[in-house]
Amino acid sequence: MTRISIDPITRLEGHGKIEIFLDAQGNVENCYFQVPELRGFEVFCIGRPVEEMPFLTSRICGVCPEAHLMAAAKACDAVYKVEVPPAGKKLRELLYMAFYVTDHTTHFYALGGPDFVVGPDAPAAERNILGVIAKVGLETGGQVIDTRKRNHHVIEMIGGRPVHPVAAIPGGMSHPITEEQRQEIIAIARKNVEFGQFTISLFHDIVLKNTGYVDLITSAGYTQKTYYMGLVDGNNHVNFYDGKVRVVGPDGAEHCKYAPNDYREYVAERVEPWSYLKFPYLKKVGWKGFVDGKDSGVYCATPLSRLNAADGLATPLAQAEYERMYETLGGKPVHHTLATHWARIIELLYAAEHMLELAEDPEVASPDIRAIPKATPSEGVGIVEAPRGTLTHHYITDEKGILQKANLIVGTTNNNAPIYISIRKAAEALIQNGQVNDGILNKVEMAFRAYDPCLSCATHTLPGQMPLELVVRDQSGEVIHHASQYVAPELLAQFG
Amino acid sequence: MAGQSGGTVVIGLGNPILSDDGIGWQVAAQVRQALDGQWHGDGPSAHDLVHVTEACVGGLSLAEMLVGYEYAVIVDAIMTGNALPGTVYHLKLGDLPGTLNMASAHDTNLATALRALRRYGARVPADEDIDIIAVEAQDVWTFREECTPEVQTGLAGAVELVLRLVRV
Repeated sequence: MTRISIDPITRLEGHGKIEIFLDAQGNVENCYFQVPELRGFEVFCIGRPVEEMPFLTSRICGVCPEAHLMAAAKACDAVYKVEVPPAGKKLRELLYMAFYVTDHTTHFYALGGPDFVVGPDAPAAERNILGVIAKVGLETGGQVIDTRKRNHHVIEMIGGRPVHPVAAIPGGMSHPITEEQRQEIIAIARKNVEFGQFTISLFHDIVLKNTGYVDLITSAGYTQKTYYMGLVDGNNHVNFYDGKVRVVGPDGAEHCKYAPNDYREYVAERVEPWSYLKFPYLKKVGWKGFVDGKDSGVYCATPLSRLNAADGLATPLAQAEYERMYETLGGKPVHHTLATHWARIIELLYAAEHMLELAEDPEVASPDIRAIPKATPSEGVGIVEAPRGTLTHHYITDEKGILQKANLIVGTTNNNAPIYISIRKAAEALIQNGQVNDGILNKVEMAFRAYDPCLSCATHTLPGQMPLELVVRDQSGEVIHHASQYVAPELLAQFG
Repeated sequence: MAGQSGGTVVIGLGNPILSDDGIGWQVAAQVRQALDGQWHGDGPSAHDLVHVTEACVGGLSLAEMLVGYEYAVIVDAIMTGNALPGTVYHLKLGDLPGTLNMASAHDTNLATALRALRRYGARVPADEDIDIIAVEAQDVWTFREECTPEVQTGLAGAVELVLRLVRV
């Protein structure tokens, strides 16, 4: 059997590895997607005051600390049975929208975008943010940097720090914003809306006007029909911060809609001996293996999933683009993994518009932002939509608020099984008769990258990337192909 | 190079709740403490000249932390697997594998991010004005606020090295 290994290695995170096994004819026989194991989180948490969890869990992740902060704060609200005052809730949401604008911008321009903007067949050395700048111009690149900067400023204003904010606490927020700050945020949000619109138009010009790209997006190798999950408000509109979790089937029909406290009735986790990361699935459909379709409980929780699971978006510009996407791609739900990039920038525009709505509401600057928790603490679940998927925090405490049990289902974990299926489908479509090259493997990786996976939920990585190593072995185990975007030979040689 | 112009930043990088990944934070804390002790009341304090901070970020976010500085020292854990835990390395940006122009599975790498920032006119240290102090780690997968005893042995040497580099 020939073995292909795509091996993302960082200097610290351990190995998130994609392995593709070929049969004697050189066609794909199987794939495995493995991620590193982080040990002892529950032991680490037990015995701590539950109010430490927002700060502790936001430390799990160097990529989306704001999502953990919000999910943990909401779980603490539930543990203490406290209702956050409207201004506190709006302030949390305002911070969260600034985070979403930043995160989705970064993904589109620095990570997912290069595949389309620079091109899937471009040399690896050009498929990065510098390649994007070269293609779209320095001014656009400057806008990306400015967008990150001004929204980090908002996060710092509201959350106390530009990265790893701390202001969300049980019962609300720790400090209000001033009227002057609110006015400043309004101006920033307006720029965000303009930038969101610009990004959409860029996507239209570069991707949608290129029939080759559209064919790639809609090709069978990047298509799978699963269930889709996302938080929705009372109107079944997408909501990143609050609401009920709605799941629709591959046919688009509602499968279930549940409140955070009930998540265990709907989601179970499958353990496979070859993976440390569990595989969540829909309990009432059941685990049928790594297959898509209505009879398989595999679900996706991605930007595209959120749009599929909702009936629309609550802001006008994003809603118009939402309708355009479904019209272009043949109606709901869309099953094309690479359309996740389109969905992500629609969400970027939505986050910008909603940020403006929140900032324009004078109540967001009210000092009434926290209700002091008074009830005896017990158990609570907090769910938000992290950019990479539905994020669930579940805590159980004793009567003094000391943590007895903690369970987290993080964004990428939801997508563990779909990522596996996507990689396999892409590999099956692209690798045939043993023909493998860098361009083909990049296209396999594109199936993986569309999810914006955050493998260890602990990454900050000094090189700041999760690069890939490729090993192809023949039936005797000899390496016949070795392509690497990141290996440490120089370093190993230097210190070896 | 020392931070003579007030443009020096020391960043203790890592995840402080993942065992040895927190070594950068420990080094930063001790460097800060040592700089406190160097101020004798007249003129600018060491902290006016050297900004010490901690972070758990990478790529663009890390690069953005260097904006406005002329010189930077980044302290982090590293895993080469080829040296004893606690071994201290003094690296330059170019020593890090795959740091230039590589495609990335998340965000981008530090060197590419710095180049991008420079393209927009941001003032960040030149690559040669970034020193990286790395400490060989052995466990970065267990949630724990302390480093392993073996890695802890590298703390003093790393602190000393940083202080030598940022001598004010």
